[in-house]
Order: sequence, then C-alpha cells, then structure tokens
Amino acid sequence: MATRLGLQKWFPDAFKKFGVYTVFDLMIKYIKEGRIKLDKTRHPQLSTYHDPCNYGRKSEMMFGHGYYEEGRWIMDQCTDNWVDAYPNRANQFCCGAGGGAWLTPYNEERVYYGRKKIEQIKATGAKLIVVPCHSCYDQFKKSLRVEYDMQDLEVKYLWAVVADSIVL
Amino acid sequence: MEALDLTNRSRRKLELKPEWANICFACGTCASGCPVTGVDGWDPRKAIRAAVLGLEDELIDARWPWICTMCGRCQYACPQGVEFVSLIRHVRSHRDREKVPGTLHKGVEAALKTGNNFSIPKDDFIFVMEDVAEEFAEEEGFSDFKMPLDKKGANILCTVHGKLPFGATDDMKFWWKIFYAAKEDWTIPSENWEGVNWGLFTGDDEAMKTMVGRIVENMEKLEAKNLLFPE
Ligand code: SF4
Ligand code: SF4
Repeated sequence: MATRLGLQKWFPDAFKKFGVYTVFDLMIKYIKEGRIKLDKTRHPQLSTYHDPCNYGRKSEMMFGHGYYEEGRWIMDQCTDNWVDAYPNRANQFCCGAGGGAWLTPYNEERVYYGRKKIEQIKATGAKLIVVPCHSCYDQFKKSLRVEYDMQDLEVKYLWAVVADSIVL
Repeated sequence: MEALDLTNRSRRKLELKPEWANICFACGTCASGCPVTGVDGWDPRKAIRAAVLGLEDELIDARWPWICTMCGRCQYACPQGVEFVSLIRHVRSHRDREKVPGTLHKGVEAALKTGNNFSIPKDDFIFVMEDVAEEFAEEEGFSDFKMPLDKKGANILCTVHGKLPFGATDDMKFWWKIFYAAKEDWTIPSENWEGVNWGLFTGDDEAMKTMVGRIVENMEKLEAKNLLFPE
C-alpha cells in the first residue's frame, strides 16, 4: 500500500512504465493460466479468511478497488471447506496490529483491540485462519492465539496455503 | 470559562484540511464501530473534536493515535466522508521523532541508513539468501532451484519483508515454491530490498518517498519488467 501510494504520488512515470502486480493478481494469474496446479485435499480442516485493512477497505477508499474477492477466489481453489467470518470485507475488524501497532510498546491495548477479531474467528469454528498480510499473521500467530487461549488455531499466509497445495 | 471563537482561529500546528475534521457533525458513527473506543478515554469522534477545538498538543502527545491502527473502519462508515486516517497520520507526523513509540522510527532510521528496517548488511543478506536457497533445493522436487539475486531483465522484481531474512527464513520459501512451480523469471535485489515502508505509519513522507524511490531505482537498474507489490 505504501509502495503503490508512493509510486502514484511521487513517481507517476515509473508507475506508468513498469507493470505492477499485487500478490493476489500474480497468484490468480498462475492459477488461471494453469502454471500451478493445486490439490484441494491438502487443507481439509475448516478454514476462514481474514481481510487485511490495507488490501480491503483502505484500498477501496484510496484506490477505488478493495481486494475482497481475489483472496476468496484463491481460497476456493485451495479448499472446499472454508467459511467467511462475519462481518467481512469492508466491514471487517482489524486484527489490531495494523498501522505499526505491532511495533509499539502498547501490547495490552493491541491484544484488547484483537478481541473483536478473535470473537469472529471463534464463531466460525475454524481450525485454520488464512491471512494475506504479515502484520495480521504475527498478531494472530504470536499474540492473539496465545492470549485468547486458542493455541490449536493454525495461522497461515494465503501464499503458504497456495504453496502447500501445489502439485509439482 | 471563555467561549472559543471558532471562526477566528489562529493558524495552528495541525493545519487541518476541512475534510479531515471540520466537516464532521459529531454523530458518533465512527466511535461506535471502533474497537478501541474508550481506551485512555479517546475515540475517533473525540480526536476530531480535539483537533478542531485546538487541543492539538493533547492529541499529539496522547498514546491513543498510536493505538488506533488506522484501519479505516470509522472512515468507511462516516456519513460525512471525514478522512480520519489522514488526520491520524498527520497527528502522528507531529510527534517529535525521538518520541515516536516503540521501534517504528528506529526502523525508519535504519532503513534510510542501511536499506532495510533491521540493518542487515548486504553480505549477510546475500549469505542468508544463498544459504536458505541451498536448504530449499534439498527439498524434494526443487533440486535445481537457484537464488536469482540481481538478475537483469527479469519479468518480476520482488522486495523482501525485512523480518523474514532477519528471523523467519522458512517463510520466504512459499513464494519461491510458487515461482518455481510457475517457471517464473524473477529476481530480488541484493541492496535496498526492503518492502516494508514504516514511514507510512509514522507519518514520515520524506522517508516513505526515499524508500519507494529505491524500489524504482532497483527496477531501472535491473531492467525488471514488473514489480510485485510488497506483501
Ligand atoms: S462518523 Fe463522521 S461525521 Fe460522524 S462523528 Fe465520526 S467523523 Fe464525525
Ligand atoms: S481507524 Fe480504526 S482503530 Fe482508528 S479510530 Fe478508526 S476504527 Fe478506530
């Protein structure tokens, strides 16, 4: 998001000259072109998906397109057993570690913030939470899972789910 | 208590744009949907009121603008279209750099100086990447995997999230695996490879611009065709 914003604002020529991909676009391209083949049986457990603020709501507000459906389409290619949390897409709750919060000393507040998201995930009954963002990943895996007594919840990057589904 | 004359305000520190605060009609929709409403007694509506009424130092010095994650949920729901995320980033930019909480500004300084948020020297970076690549090539099916550092004319140039070579090297392999399977022609620059721009969070436009400029430089230098936006 910072990179795209910066390119548009300060390096418009470069932004025009080079092609750009988001992680979603690129994974979707490979899947659609048949360049990677995925096995849906590798993730049999019930999963759910988290919309990161930056790719979703904030992209929508800033660039006119929120990446909501892309991640879901990729989920569909990797598993038949996943459900959305509620609320989702533009109305999702932030994991609590956005905006650099992972790097501030306000840990207690960061964990308190995450309670909303954790309630959502608990309500789905999912055993695996899939995230396409590094901050969310750390917040779920290293913090919320422990603080809210959900040690059994598996946390994976979206690209890890894809990578682990690849049939070579 | 003296009444505030809001039409005759002196020029203030925050130099508010109308869309950041003035157009707010204080309905409270934002505050009702924010997960950290009430922390330290703050919420988005209150923060806006503080900015408008001149309680700027109180807001700038508060912890709350750094506990807010700039998630934009408030802004999305606002019937007036108040750009709250921009306001908060602007408030953060008014903090003395020495008083930016946690490691955020230290990371920005490190990035400006060394090219990455964790001050990993170039030689160490190359060593780690080669080392992890060798390990990866030992996995079944990837025996001819080579680390394409500084490859010219590649189709895709990737940045790296600083925390990965710093302490989560295995997590780099997912994308490598995808690239390998897709037979992609890709590269990672050996200098200024950081993909994470903490200037976005600290309200530091100069730093943010420098970091993005380096990605552009790498694209030019390596004659890469496409940039994969940092994860
Ligand atoms: S929702 Fe918008 S108009 Fe209502 S209080 Fe919040 S910022 Fe002001
Ligand atoms: S950006 Fe998110 S955390 Fe910050 S005030 Fe708005 S809803 Fe709350």
